[in-house]
Amino acid sequence: MATTHARAAARLMISPSVILLLGWMLIPLGMTLYFSVLRYNLLMPGDNPFVGIENYQYFLTDPAFTAALINTLALVVGVLAVTIIGGTLLALLLDQPMWATGIWRILVIAPFFVMPTVSALVWKNMFMNPVNGLFAHLFKSLGLAPFDFLAQAPLFSIIWIVSWQWLPFATLILLTAMQSLDREQIEAAEMDGAGALSRFRHITIPHLGRAATVVVLIETIFLLSVFAEILVTTNGGPGNASTNLTYLVYAESLLRFDVGMGSAGGVVAIILANIVAIFLMRAIGKNLDA
Amino acid sequence: MGQITLKKVRKAFGDVEVIPPLDLQINDGEFVVFVGPSGCGKSTLLRLIAGLEDVSSGEIEIDGRPSAELPPAKRGLAMVFQSYALYPHMSVRKNIAFPMKMAKISQDEQNRRIEAAASALNLTEYLDRKPGQLSGGQRQRVAIGRAIVREPAAFLFDEPLSNLDAALRVGMRLEISELHKRLATTMIYVTHDQIEAMTMADKIVVLRAGRIEQVGAPLELYENPRNIFVAGFIGSPRMNFIEGPEAARHNAHTIGIRPEHIDVSATEGDWQGRIGVAEHLGSDTYFHIHDTGLAETVTVRASGEVTLRHGETVFLTPQAEKIHRFDNEGLKQ
Ligand SMILES: Nc1ncnc2c1ncn2[C@@H]1O[C@H](COP(=O)(O)OP(=O)(O)O)[C@@H](O)[C@H]1O
Ligand SMILES: [Mg+2]
Repeated sequence: MATTHARAAARLMISPSVILLLGWMLIPLGMTLYFSVLRYNLLMPGDNPFVGIENYQYFLTDPAFTAALINTLALVVGVLAVTIIGGTLLALLLDQPMWATGIWRILVIAPFFVMPTVSALVWKNMFMNPVNGLFAHLFKSLGLAPFDFLAQAPLFSIIWIVSWQWLPFATLILLTAMQSLDREQIEAAEMDGAGALSRFRHITIPHLGRAATVVVLIETIFLLSVFAEILVTTNGGPGNASTNLTYLVYAESLLRFDVGMGSAGGVVAIILANIVAIFLMRAIGKNLDA
Repeated sequence: MGQITLKKVRKAFGDVEVIPPLDLQINDGEFVVFVGPSGCGKSTLLRLIAGLEDVSSGEIEIDGRPSAELPPAKRGLAMVFQSYALYPHMSVRKNIAFPMKMAKISQDEQNRRIEAAASALNLTEYLDRKPGQLSGGQRQRVAIGRAIVREPAAFLFDEPLSNLDAALRVGMRLEISELHKRLATTMIYVTHDQIEAMTMADKIVVLRAGRIEQVGAPLELYENPRNIFVAGFIGSPRMNFIEGPEAARHNAHTIGIRPEHIDVSATEGDWQGRIGVAEHLGSDTYFHIHDTGLAETVTVRASGEVTLRHGETVFLTPQAEKIHRFDNEGLKQ
């Protein structure tokens, strides 16, 4: 296997897929970079002159950008907090011996299989609608004024909807981690005088660290680019209250037809995502070492 | 104090009775070994005493107090698990400190006990390592350290040496024996290895299918086994069992004779056979003798220099006073 010959052959064999993958990645990236330095607005046909970093200047100084940046981070952090904490509690519950465990598990996992657009629409129309939603009925039956979630707490509502979708994923990963915890460790802690809470805090939580890290890393990748849920519920509004970076890029390039500006936004989003990734790996990457 | 009394203790998992009602008295300061084949209920019995399993019926008294309502932590017992069950994310120091932290012992006292345990167990250099960075023997010592610092009324060991290699096992066996001499605390030790039982125990409890076959000091069991099971289980190599006319000649259904109680001669003796495999241990040689007409093989020990070879004919003479006679139910006559 390790002869020079075999290695050369191996490289040759995998080259088509590597080249395909690289092309798949590099060509769109290159084109985005290229468009981002052009004045390229579909509403103003003509030649597309090179304008350097003008698009970036406009994008970064746009008040919508700061708002979108904060919203993006709030969305990621909010959903992570809800799914990790909620997922741990649910996993703890599902780990208990109980009646019809299989059915409960399937029920808990189900939201993961619902498309983002569908689940967002269900939440928007069936739960959060201020006239017909279940929450409105609930509020009214309690004698309270209905609360218009999507208008009055748009970002919170979106965090809620996205958390609902990602909770099963976190629960599943944390549940498998919990089930891999050595029983003898728990028993040893029990003999050492640790009550249920101490055992959870000193044994279970550290044991879940690695799984939680995986959940955080994977979810972050997807949460930085939440889009469908915003599009079908609030359209980024009111104002910019629920616009994240992805939605801002969409608004620039497809609502205002400014391809140059949209591309610049895309590049900024890529850079930010990488900063977040580096930061995350620094902060919790050591959990992944054996 | 560490006196443990089991009264009619019974344990069943669902319909399966793993331990039929059983009585046992363990005195303060004793080193008691539960020995028996795999699956005979040794661990279950230990876990019942520890409180990790509930008894199905009967009572366990620790220092005269009924323990039924006491959770494991309140029984004052410390357990060393077969898998060591160290906390992988904590350093050795934190592992050892954990039971004291749970008991809210002052930091100074904690440090004092950790230092004492670490120096007794040769762990001082490793206090800041994680369990994953230690060898099997060191992990074993950490587990023992974690038990010692609690200053328990009794130690419970569940096959603590079974994951170690042979040389280390002998070393740890001695260390645990020395620990017992030094602390003079009650220890209950579970093993399937009769050599561990013989070398360490003050009192051996031989178990089969959850039932106590015999309780006694090691030599008592060796010299005076109550039945065929104990006779065959204690002693290495195993006792030879002979049935048929030769046994009838001794007025027994079965007779048993240990390999070390048979004299070997090239010229004369009561029994005649042909040498099969010879195991040379240096000090002793064990011969497996075939074609004696008594049993499939008869194992004998010849000490010192032996000139006998494979295939040769030998004569065997059992030492008359060392013959064990058993009736048709396997009980000693
Ligand atoms: N939690 C349990 N549920 C059902 N059966 C069990 C359980 N624990 C042990 N047993 C059974 O009890 C018997 C004794 O087990 P154990 O005490 O572990 O044996 P030993 O330690 O002597 O090898 C075995 O037959 C085992 O299958
Ligand atoms: Mg066992």
